[in-house]
Amino acid sequence: MFHWLEKNPFFFAVGVFLVIAFAGLVEILPNFAEASRPVTGLRPYTVLELAGKEVYKKDNCIACHSQLIRPFKSETDRYGEYSLSGEYAYDRPFLWGSKRTGPDLHRVGNYRTTEWHENHMWQPNSVVPGSIMPAYKHQFTNVADIETAYAEAVTVKNIFKTPYGDDIKAGKKAWEAYRPKVLAEARKIASQMKNKDVKDMVKAGKVPEVVALIAYLNSLGAKRYNAKK
Amino acid sequence: MNALMVKGLIFAAILIGATFYVVNSMHIDLSDPINLITMIGAIAIAVLTVGVSIKYINQMKSDTASGELAEEKWDGIGEYKNELPSGWAFSFLGTIIWAFWYWTIGYPVNSFSQIGQWNEEVKAFNKKFENKYKNPDKATLTAMGESIFLVQCAPCHGNTGDGLSGKAHDFVDGRISKKQVLAVIKNGSNQLGYPMGAMPPMMATGKDAEEIATYVAGGLKGKQPAAFGVCAGCHGADGKGMNGMAANIADYDDTLITHVIKNGKHGAIGTMPAFHDRMTPVQIKALSTYIQTLRGE
Repeated sequence: MFHWLEKNPFFFAVGVFLVIAFAGLVEILPNFAEASRPVTGLRPYTVLELAGKEVYKKDNCIACHSQLIRPFKSETDRYGEYSLSGEYAYDRPFLWGSKRTGPDLHRVGNYRTTEWHENHMWQPNSVVPGSIMPAYKHQFTNVADIETAYAEAVTVKNIFKTPYGDDIKAGKKAWEAYRPKVLAEARKIASQMKNKDVKDMVKAGKVPEVVALIAYLNSLGAKRYNAKK
Repeated sequence: MNALMVKGLIFAAILIGATFYVVNSMHIDLSDPINLITMIGAIAIAVLTVGVSIKYINQMKSDTASGELAEEKWDGIGEYKNELPSGWAFSFLGTIIWAFWYWTIGYPVNSFSQIGQWNEEVKAFNKKFENKYKNPDKATLTAMGESIFLVQCAPCHGNTGDGLSGKAHDFVDGRISKKQVLAVIKNGSNQLGYPMGAMPPMMATGKDAEEIATYVAGGLKGKQPAAFGVCAGCHGADGKGMNGMAANIADYDDTLITHVIKNGKHGAIGTMPAFHDRMTPVQIKALSTYIQTLRGE
């Protein structure tokens, strides 16, 4: 019945191209829809939060934690409101993940605190009995790369028009002027922590990875919406 | 029976033997149907793999190509006609026709919405929940409260509510610790939204504050220190908060727990986020009932 298709390879190739192109359009076009623009009141990540996001990627949290709450009652009961595509507008890349060995983290900032994360990253089963998550003690001594995070902010501002303020711009001078703001944000988090190494490092003008990571985790949820409190 | 068959049977026997060996050495409990089915499945896979391989290896040795040649040739290489069975072909054409219907009429007119499905799911659940727990008794509330506590509260307050050695508020050992009372006296408090409003800092100092803290942490037992008068103005002489006007510092009550869940809290130990949008009023009541059972005497 379809033997005639095979007699004309050129026609067949065009047909295959059309079918695949159509499938591509169906996948790609929705990304330009209104629904994937930033949701109202969403602010971009601060530089410290971006540095934390890099720690999240580097220590491969995505291997066990997702960041996408599906619209099922069982999930919204446990993790909070379901996720909307516009919430990921400033995530480059988004960190949806595909495996939940641990819980979803998309709204973890709404129900966990700096103190909790400090205990949990140092010794997970001290707060979650039976947790199989490994301890991440190295994050308390490793220094987070806030300069690269700043560069990332400058890049996404210039290329994708991410709405950062005028104080984020290219150049060493601009970075030197901006650095104290990042450190102030880090000091605020470190003041709620108990670890002495972390406090000393922040005092010396360095940002430990755990501080950046906690800033990022706290930002996941309502804290990135200007409209809400 | 040829040599290949013999080799295949030996190989299958080895695989089956290995399966039994693993089952034995790992002390797998075969009375559990899941384990039994898994083991039977493993044996079936071994037998089928060997059987199918033997069939095709034999076929490759003896089979020759046959059939009717199609007319087209590429560089002298032809192919046999191998038509799609007509039933498959017609189903395929059918799906193409169905796709046109789906793009133009089916999906736009009757589109599926995940969020709509979620709304319906939540609506149905809430209705069922309201009916089931219209007038819950204390045992129901305590059981519900425990399950909520284990999910929402235990990560900080611990499975038993002991606060994980000082990481969060301890519900078991008294209402409030001396350290916490001193911190509230020193810093004041305006977090919980009680009608009485903000508690100013430094209402008592030095020895007075110490005495108040010892008295409150001790469960308001024994002789009331004179300095407690300044607290009694809002919290009542019995410390119970004058029927919800101010925080109850003697016991846990529904008002106190509702206020904390609604507003969150920042105190001597640390910060607690607000949890009100994660629970219904009945669930908060259940949680409060459960927390009141935690306190040991």
